[in-house]
Amino acid sequence: MAERKVTVQSEVGLHARPAATFVQTAAKATVNVTVARMSGEPVSAKSILSVLALDVRQGETIVISADGEGADELLDALAAIASAP
Amino acid sequence: MTTVLAPMGGTAVRLAEVPDPVFSAGMVGPGLAIDPVREPVVAVAPIDGIIMKLHPHAFVIVGDDGRGVLVHLGIDTVQLRGAGFELLTTEGARIRAGQPVVSWNPVSIEASGRSPVCPVVALDGDADYVTGLAHGRIDAGDDLFEWA
Repeated sequence: MAERKVTVQSEVGLHARPAATFVQTAAKATVNVTVARMSGEPVSAKSILSVLALDVRQGETIVISADGEGADELLDALAAIASAP
Repeated sequence: MTTVLAPMGGTAVRLAEVPDPVFSAGMVGPGLAIDPVREPVVAVAPIDGIIMKLHPHAFVIVGDDGRGVLVHLGIDTVQLRGAGFELLTTEGARIRAGQPVVSWNPVSIEASGRSPVCPVVALDGDADYVTGLAHGRIDAGDDLFEWA
């Protein structure tokens, strides 16, 4: 299992456009990928409903995890989206 | 099957015509938008369920079947930081379709240089399962689309 810890930089947090881009990128992947708050329950990173429910605000840190072929590349892409200002 | 009701009156607009790629490209899901009447509006719940997220400019209601419907009040309205919106319920509340959620005024949104168009989105939905899209003039509480 590979993971990345990322601090969300967008002013709107992981909502709206950043959330949509994040989920769309995750949904294209064939591997399972989850996102969680620090020490929170992981939810599917492929579900916009789940990601919006996490309600991650600017400055909060999330953990993105994936397993399998291409997991590292996917996590790098997702981390870049989540950490973009 | 979920029947999603119009959260306000106005004119039905295809999501593809909404001036925000998050919605027009279907990034958060299929659905339909409403170009609202230009008068003070009380946005009502499009489905029965729990208010999972309540922001001034947008809210998500999750039905008992776990499906979420997003109503976004105008485009880029997060930038207004709640100015001009009044919350009429609370996050976590159980609500029935047609009950009031947020009051706002499309006229002032438009005056701020933003589009007041309101996407109503079947979150995580498959476009093949969203049918019966409304056309033309609609009133609050009218059927907006079916989510099979």
